[in-house]
Amino acid sequence: MTFVRLAEVARVHGEGATAVHALKGVSLEVDVGELVAVMGPSGSGKSTLLNLAGGLDRPTSGTVHIGEQDLATMRDLAALRRRSVGFVFQDLNLITSLTAAENVMLPRELDGLRSSLARKEAMAVLAEIDAEYLADRFPDELSGGQRQRVAIARALVGERRLLLADEPTGALDTRTGDEILQTLRARSDAGAAVLLVTHEPRYAAWADRVVFLRDGMITDTTDTSLVSAP
Amino acid sequence: MPVRHGLLTLLSRGPRHGYQLRVEFEASTGATWPLNIGQVYTTLSRLERDGLVKPGESDEQGRVVYTITAAGREEMVRWFSTPVIHSDRPRDELVIKLAMAVAAKKVDVAEVIHKQRTATMRALQQLTRAKRAATEGAAQRLVLDSMIFQAEAEQRWLDHCEAVLKEER
Repeated sequence: MTFVRLAEVARVHGEGATAVHALKGVSLEVDVGELVAVMGPSGSGKSTLLNLAGGLDRPTSGTVHIGEQDLATMRDLAALRRRSVGFVFQDLNLITSLTAAENVMLPRELDGLRSSLARKEAMAVLAEIDAEYLADRFPDELSGGQRQRVAIARALVGERRLLLADEPTGALDTRTGDEILQTLRARSDAGAAVLLVTHEPRYAAWADRVVFLRDGMITDTTDTSLVSAP
Repeated sequence: MPVRHGLLTLLSRGPRHGYQLRVEFEASTGATWPLNIGQVYTTLSRLERDGLVKPGESDEQGRVVYTITAAGREEMVRWFSTPVIHSDRPRDELVIKLAMAVAAKKVDVAEVIHKQRTATMRALQQLTRAKRAATEGAAQRLVLDSMIFQAEAEQRWLDHCEAVLKEER
């Protein structure tokens, strides 16, 4: 079952001679329970793709669906994002004056949930990623890897089943980076649709499918069969 | 010769017969270096010739149990204390293929790179799956990690080739 669908999506920044074609007709689907990695050098359009998939930006042409909803027909993208989409970025993920649990609760409280219920949900999702013991610590009391795992918990709290991760392994060492991917992989195996943007092959390799982006176009994907040379 | 020293290392943990050595060798290398039993016995007889192991009595099933000698232990210590030098590394077909593709001018180098990158990524995905499924302990996982790092290096090199060739055009 497809959860997010981009069809012939183009995004142009600016216009006329100085226009930048960040994406040039990209089609991509991510199923429920699927982890898809997008690889490409800087400037290839990776982050633009992620922002469009999560409704942080609107395409110049083409359509984006999340679940059954066409984002072009949605007035309140912020509400949709809060309900359906979780983001994890390289850094600047957590609010430093809140504990891990409070950070995870925050999107649910913004949804209007009572704080006792939000806390219950936050603890449940932290438990799912084996991070309950971090609940009462502040971000600066956590390691880089722990912070990212809390950010993943926050991205998935409540009913959200789409997780968009932009270089979530950032400056982490490879062992910690593998742990982050382990967590993303487990969440996708548990039914989340996960779209991961990375320039690191070792992390992309955790995905069910790897899509190569170059100059705003998909040049290749690992799900097409390839005849090897004799 | 890593098989020779690998067997010596396994024997340093106690006497073993050929079949046991084969199973333990493959378990610790994550079956990335499959050994046939013939290879194990050939290696054992060379080790015996060189005085590094000695055969004992055969067991009830007729299997000969080997024991490491003092010279064998010394050889093992020497192996672990010597770094590996890659000077005799076999030439890499991919490197030659890409160099030839660039030199030939008429070959679509970008296409060669794309195809290889996708194939290498698939290999990397398989290795990652194998690593997730690895249950035989740290030795096995680290062997897979080594292959993951190598595949990753190839992937990075291909990206680098693509970027360099793009500028050249």
